[in-house]
Amino acid sequence: MTTQSKSVNVPQTWESFAWKWMRYSGVILAILAGIHVLIQDILIGVYEIDITYVAGRWHGGFWRVYDFLLLFFAFTHGMNGVRQVLFDFVHSAGGRRALNWILFIVWAAVIVWGTVAIFAFTPPAG
Amino acid sequence: MSFKTASEGYVKYQGLGNWAFVLHRLAGLGVILFLIVHVVDTAFIYFAPDLYTEAIHLYQMPLFGLGEILLVLALLYHGLNGLRIIYFDMINPDMWTIEINRKSVIWTWIAAVILWLPAAWIMATHILSHMGS
Repeated sequence: MTTQSKSVNVPQTWESFAWKWMRYSGVILAILAGIHVLIQDILIGVYEIDITYVAGRWHGGFWRVYDFLLLFFAFTHGMNGVRQVLFDFVHSAGGRRALNWILFIVWAAVIVWGTVAIFAFTPPAG
Repeated sequence: MSFKTASEGYVKYQGLGNWAFVLHRLAGLGVILFLIVHVVDTAFIYFAPDLYTEAIHLYQMPLFGLGEILLVLALLYHGLNGLRIIYFDMINPDMWTIEINRKSVIWTWIAAVILWLPAAWIMATHILSHMGS
């Protein structure tokens, strides 16, 4: 049996935006997170990582911007994923509104925490 | 109750597509859980360098090394299955048939394991060479 797909009009809402976001950010993350894990976890390995290593890595701007983009895309993708899972269990409008706020605050706090560290870090003297 | 309804939905229909969906969520939740910890402790390098060094020493313990190997498997599966879903949804929706879906799920698992094995081997080698040091 063959099926024929057809286009349907989906109203443009925040939820349809979130649906597309998971797919577009997913493609970007396959590249960003893939390279990150390949370099840090497999090629370099956690035994070679310390403050001196990170200081060298963050010497220029490239890897700082890279790490910021990875943080932003990964954490935003992940928190929206958590939201989607929780929405399968919480159905009331009030409960969902509360979840949206809680997850938004956690999202903003972690993004700010990580971003400040990436760009404010200066290598220790000596 | 809503919790019961959703949980039953996860386990009552046991086709391969459903298992792909359940594993996708479990892997995703595992990765985000680690990611929160990872961002918080990596940022210590700026806010509290001593705590950063302590966190890295923790990650260098064999048990965490094992967790890291499993994390890479979770990430590989979640990523590959995600790319499969993206391809079906955005490029070729005709692929959303039960038969093609189930076949592609199996290929996704095979691809994830094939990519994971060399990565796991390299990481295991790192762990073993640092045992007891």
